[in-house]
Amino acid sequence: MTGRVLRALAITLIVVWSLAPIAIGLVTSFSTQRDVQAVPARWLPEQPTLDAYRSLLGGTSSQRAGGTVAESGTYSKALLNSTIVTLLSTLAVLAVAVSGAYGFSRLEFPGRRTLFWAISALIIIPVFMVVIALFRLMADAHLIDHKLGLVLVFAATQTPLALLLMRNYIAELPLEPEEAALIDGCTRWQAFWRVVVPQMSSGIAALAAIVMLAVWGEFLIPLLLTSTLNSKTVTVVIPEFVGKYTTNYPLLAAAGVLAVLPPAIVALVLNRHIRGMLHGSS
Amino acid sequence: MARPDAGIVLEGVRKEFPGGVVAVDDFSLEVAPGEFVVLVGPSGCGKSTTLRMVAGLEPMTAGAVQIGGRDVTRFPPRHRDVAMVFQNYALYAHMTVAANIGFGLKMNDMPKAEIEPRVQRAAEILGITDLLKRKPRQLSGGQRQRVAMGRAIVREPAAFLMDEPLSNLDAKLRVEMRAEITNVQRRIGAPTLYVTHDQTEAMTMGDRVAILRDGVLEQLGTPLELYDAPVNVFVAAFIGSPAMNLIDATIEVESDTWFARFGDARVPIPHDRRESLVPFAGRPVRLGLRPEDLGRDGEGAIELPVIRTESLGSETIAYLDAGGERPLIARFDRRAPLAAGRHARIPVDLDRLYFFDADTGAAIR
Amino acid sequence: MVAPAVALTAALVVYPLAKGFKSSLESGEATYGASPKFVGLDNYREVLKTSTAVDAIGHTLIYVALAVTLELVLGMIVAVTLNRVFRGRGIVLAILILPWALPSVVSGVLWRRVFDPDSGLLNSVLLQLHVIDHPHVWMATKGTALAFITIVHVWGVLPLVSLVLIAGLQSIPEEVYSASAVDGANPVRQFRHITLPLLRPAIAVALTIGTVWGIAIFDEIYVLNGTALNTRSVLMEVYNTTFVDADFAHGTALAFMLTVVTALFAIGYTLGFRRETT
Repeated sequence: MTGRVLRALAITLIVVWSLAPIAIGLVTSFSTQRDVQAVPARWLPEQPTLDAYRSLLGGTSSQRAGGTVAESGTYSKALLNSTIVTLLSTLAVLAVAVSGAYGFSRLEFPGRRTLFWAISALIIIPVFMVVIALFRLMADAHLIDHKLGLVLVFAATQTPLALLLMRNYIAELPLEPEEAALIDGCTRWQAFWRVVVPQMSSGIAALAAIVMLAVWGEFLIPLLLTSTLNSKTVTVVIPEFVGKYTTNYPLLAAAGVLAVLPPAIVALVLNRHIRGMLHGSS
Repeated sequence: MARPDAGIVLEGVRKEFPGGVVAVDDFSLEVAPGEFVVLVGPSGCGKSTTLRMVAGLEPMTAGAVQIGGRDVTRFPPRHRDVAMVFQNYALYAHMTVAANIGFGLKMNDMPKAEIEPRVQRAAEILGITDLLKRKPRQLSGGQRQRVAMGRAIVREPAAFLMDEPLSNLDAKLRVEMRAEITNVQRRIGAPTLYVTHDQTEAMTMGDRVAILRDGVLEQLGTPLELYDAPVNVFVAAFIGSPAMNLIDATIEVESDTWFARFGDARVPIPHDRRESLVPFAGRPVRLGLRPEDLGRDGEGAIELPVIRTESLGSETIAYLDAGGERPLIARFDRRAPLAAGRHARIPVDLDRLYFFDADTGAAIR
Repeated sequence: MVAPAVALTAALVVYPLAKGFKSSLESGEATYGASPKFVGLDNYREVLKTSTAVDAIGHTLIYVALAVTLELVLGMIVAVTLNRVFRGRGIVLAILILPWALPSVVSGVLWRRVFDPDSGLLNSVLLQLHVIDHPHVWMATKGTALAFITIVHVWGVLPLVSLVLIAGLQSIPEEVYSASAVDGANPVRQFRHITLPLLRPAIAVALTIGTVWGIAIFDEIYVLNGTALNTRSVLMEVYNTTFVDADFAHGTALAFMLTVVTALFAIGYTLGFRRETT
């Protein structure tokens, strides 16, 4: 009996621990500065308001942002940048990793094993290392502060792990459906599209989710590679709202909430697939 | 310590799952010291659940269990002094064979110096002394089976429990291990409860056999008792391979001759059976005829068309049209003059007729 | 079909790395017109003598040690709790993933509200409970700053570690627990003799993830305390050296050292644990 009570207690703690900061952020985003600065701190706003969101998306004077400039449409532009970069990067990684995984696991060619392990070994190299190494080259190619530059870097750095995950995933799938298709007259390419890719749908969904979450949440890379709103992502813009002396918390919270919505939705919708992928690769 | 002269006692054991499903209903059974009792039945009949309740792995809804003279109903598995062999062996993959076998002794805080010789002895009994340093993943199915048994016997428990230990082995290995298990059990002498769905195992290994269906004990007796005197159609059809033929027949009385008639065939009924059949005169019953009792010499004979024959070398199985949906199966020796499409004369051993009530399925005695 | 993957990584990862390594062996001083001077491992040596770098290394060691310990202990508790099926488990697991799914910058921002010296929730709660008598500037004291930043970091990594451990737990067949119960093991002994040994591969993965992510800690620190010296991690030091001070040579050298250490840890764990189970 005590076992069950303890377990229920633990589950409650887990849920509270996971949700509390998010809940606090949400609540703060509906508050005003006065609510936040009240002493002792008020947990709930006197009157919930959407002011923070309005300022954020509609533009605000630099004073109220408490620090750097936040002109009209700054945040919205950052959101757009993030979205574009994330989607493009994810598509690129999916294309490369899925086809690459198929090639490495179902096609025979010399040096297959070595090449694969060579690429997989790259997983060990942290992303920042690659970016630093890439920096000068990208500057020369005028790709700094360019969305395409970000996409390329993300695609390149996410590929090794994506490739490994996908290849392990394919290795677990039965060969028979593809073989049946080949016997029935399909070319390799057709078999790939019509049979193997559908077989992989769950894994592809999981990979897409993982890559999207990773890219959307990247901070250091965009920090290094962007300088203007041409390509600045939400992750870079948010810390700019943190002032040296006072911080407009509702605004910051609202920014945080908006930045959190897309990944949260992706995580909630695709969570079963993500967990499935983790199980498989452990 | 358990008394070595006491066995396993189940009293009114019952298992009800939330939602109302009754897996085991009021099951009582006594396994005498040294006895090998087999629990057999189709999938889902509750035999594994019963075994797990004896082990303490499954909480009982009602009833009591005694092992070695002690009431262990409230005890967790580790205090019941039982050893169990699982269907999938459940070996500890990260330990050597020796460590696997000795684990139970270690859990009972036996000093290492005592554990080693006992493990060695158990390994000798099972012929796996050369495997002691290996890990389970390096062993074949049969070898793993022996390690699982070694783990069980080394503890010298008050009772053995076995849950379909042979199901995962191939047919030939199964026959070999069947003998092995019975030998080991006889040597160790502990009361054993053995669960299987295979009636051959039940018949060849058990001192007594308990047949379960849907959580209810249908019959308990020696293998021969179940074979010769099944209490109902379920037991009759379950024991024996190929299964007993069950035919819908009518009891007809013509002057002083009694018949069981089905289709055009009439089987004469010997005098000593008539008394029990009096209430059924003129009415339908279910007639049971074992394939091995058809095709040998017999006083009765019937003629039926042959649908098909299968020659197994040592014998011939004949499939006959008895007018019902299923063919009648008869076992002839290899030189039987049978041909498909023709009629054949089937001798019937009249001493081996089984009659069952057409409605309840109960045996008519 | 394999070509795109190979080309992409070769061009954008391998080649720059090689080039970067080469330039880390060269002097940072610009000489007009001529190619940079080869100075061997000088850059590396100099960087390791910088006090800021040494401090950063110390901080990072603390971050990693603290974070990994918390992640394993808490992760184990979460895994054991959520291993069995119960009503609503799917929802709880979905919620569990959330902290990991969020950008760590945003996590930092959310937790900022808790730790803020003026309007932070922690201060206000502690004040009301009379544990402290004035609002603390948590990020000013190294001890509390490191601890709290670690907590924020762990908040984000714990979901992944928990999932890895849950997967490990589920790979242990139920029958083995039954067998050990019959053999005489109580729950504590089952954990020690059955669960933990069979979990070694999963723990290895969890350790690797925790260490690698811990070594690269950056985002949370930046949001909670900027590039302040008392909480700097090695990666932040790299950032500062390379991009703020524009000292590419030393920055790259430090980055490479960090990479090598990370790689060594990852390889070390995998090899170490692989030997156990074979």
